[in-house]
Amino acid sequence: MGPELASILYQFGTNAAFLLLSALGLIVILGMMNIINLAHGEFMMLGAYAATFAVHRGIPFPLAVIVAFFATALFGIVLERLVIRRFYGRELGALVTTWGISLILAQGALLLFGPYMPSIPIPGGAVSAGAFSFSVYWLILIGISIALVVALTIVYRATSFGLQARATMQNPTMARSLGIRIGRIYMLTFGLGAGLAGLSGALLAPTTSIAPFMGQQFVAPAFITVVVGGGANVIAGAVGSSTFLALIETPVSLTLGTFYGTMALLVMALLIIRVLPAGISSLGGRLKLAAAR
Amino acid sequence: MRRLLHLLNGPHDLGRGPVFWSGMALLGAAFLAYPTVASSFGATNTAYYLLNIPMALGLSLLWGYGGVLSFGQVAFYGIAGYTYGIVAGNLTDVAWGTPVAALVALLMAGLSAAAFGYFVFYGRVAAWIVPILTLVLALLLSTFLGLTAGYQWRVGTVQLGGYNGMTGIPSLQIGGISFQDYAFFYLVVAVVAFCYVALRIWLNAHRGQVLMATREDMLRTELLGYDVRLEQLRAFVLASLLAGVSGLLYVQWGNYITPSAMGLQQAALPVIWVAVGGRDSLLAAAIATFLLNQLTYVLSSSGNQSALVIVGGLLVAVMMFSPDGIIVGLARGRWLSTLRGWRGTARPREATNGQ
Repeated sequence: MGPELASILYQFGTNAAFLLLSALGLIVILGMMNIINLAHGEFMMLGAYAATFAVHRGIPFPLAVIVAFFATALFGIVLERLVIRRFYGRELGALVTTWGISLILAQGALLLFGPYMPSIPIPGGAVSAGAFSFSVYWLILIGISIALVVALTIVYRATSFGLQARATMQNPTMARSLGIRIGRIYMLTFGLGAGLAGLSGALLAPTTSIAPFMGQQFVAPAFITVVVGGGANVIAGAVGSSTFLALIETPVSLTLGTFYGTMALLVMALLIIRVLPAGISSLGGRLKLAAAR
Repeated sequence: MRRLLHLLNGPHDLGRGPVFWSGMALLGAAFLAYPTVASSFGATNTAYYLLNIPMALGLSLLWGYGGVLSFGQVAFYGIAGYTYGIVAGNLTDVAWGTPVAALVALLMAGLSAAAFGYFVFYGRVAAWIVPILTLVLALLLSTFLGLTAGYQWRVGTVQLGGYNGMTGIPSLQIGGISFQDYAFFYLVVAVVAFCYVALRIWLNAHRGQVLMATREDMLRTELLGYDVRLEQLRAFVLASLLAGVSGLLYVQWGNYITPSAMGLQQAALPVIWVAVGGRDSLLAAAIATFLLNQLTYVLSSSGNQSALVIVGGLLVAVMMFSPDGIIVGLARGRWLSTLRGWRGTARPREATNGQ
């Protein structure tokens, strides 16, 4: 029983970690700025490319991941200053524009770097328990996902940036009257979201093939996670949604196959928005309301 | 009849009055006369540039007039195309097989849109969720059909064909006429003209006005006694039916369809056509669709790989510098001086019109 249970837990953990890593950057930007970044998959691709370049120049992989974070964050900040800031308050306009950006990035990467990049070997080996073997790297990724959530919680709860960011999220006009430079908060948030996308892209790069259109594979899971999570509370949304969806996806994938696992995610998302249109993260507020009545 | 003509000339699109309609009549005549000077190849190509117009009209209706954005219209395009292929392929011996298949295909597109739209619109979700979920639907359909390679994936006698797609789809045949070459061109011109005229009448009639009211102010429309969820769902189903019409015409054109017709890049194209032309004008969306299809076709057939970069860049530039769209911007700019007198300089709905 022990190894079977471990195997199921491992499957669940990898699914949840994958969803969380795919969606984290997206949900940070959505929660703060009410903007969906459709170029999210391409930001992940950029992160993977940056990590690949770094690794093949002899930089060790953990350092390359950090390089990828900062490179993509910088790119995100530049993009925010040039384009995105014109679309605050016009969420559909921002969606369409970021889609245009995603087309340019993916096809541009194809034209600049060609259809294939050398892959990054998957670090770590495997451990086995009973008849099952587990990839050490995926176990590390599960740990990193938890660490990222903890780090984000600290950033939002214990730094002055986090305090100002939460104030801006709740009431931008009031925050501005109190002297918070909300333009700067938006810029840094977009940079943080972009950087997290790049970081996730770099972390997931060894597990997949690195190509200009690799971002597409993250689009469906990331967007479903965000739709189910909602933007009311970034961290609760991301964690709640990825755990919940992994609970659904794991049994379906194990019995029917990966594609049907993703399909189950879409069906789940449709059912969830029918009952909780603002996502799982709005549940906290609803419970508080119910308790107050 | 007078009433219909009055509605057709209504204010909710670019171009009104005798001069405009004479121009449209001339344009129609030019299209009808075109096959006398064009080769069969040329006519089929022009038909290809035209056949996506119904899908673009539907998106313009949904996004520009209804304030609801969908990124997944290609899903219904693909559903109609695949359904037609399956039904027509199984009914090759039946005299009325292909028209029946076309009806079933449209029915499938409409029903799937209604089922999907029920969850989205009756949940009253935030505006950004609709485009995201429709896009995910298109992507998953495309992925699913890509997995259907092999003999076990067949419906009746028709194989779905995985990534290589479904081939040998029979052409539409009504009575003795098989719609190929010139006949196909005339079919496309007739369908496109019908869709434009019918949609313009619909928009200027009561239902269209209510739809535009939901775009302007959902709560106010609801308080006036309309079920805004139903109005949005109706527009979504109508737009998806129009996407289905385009999908049907597409499988007539090439007699094949592949899962990439519903892929991420294909899904972006209708949004680009409509945004570049101008989403709150059917005419502008139609013109932009025709011209941009020509552009991408010419670019990609000359082996130019930067087609996507160019149309993507065009989209970003239009959204930044001319958010109303190029054609609408030009048309309104020219008329702005005469309009300014009675309309005021600022357009009050700028703040909420589906942005």
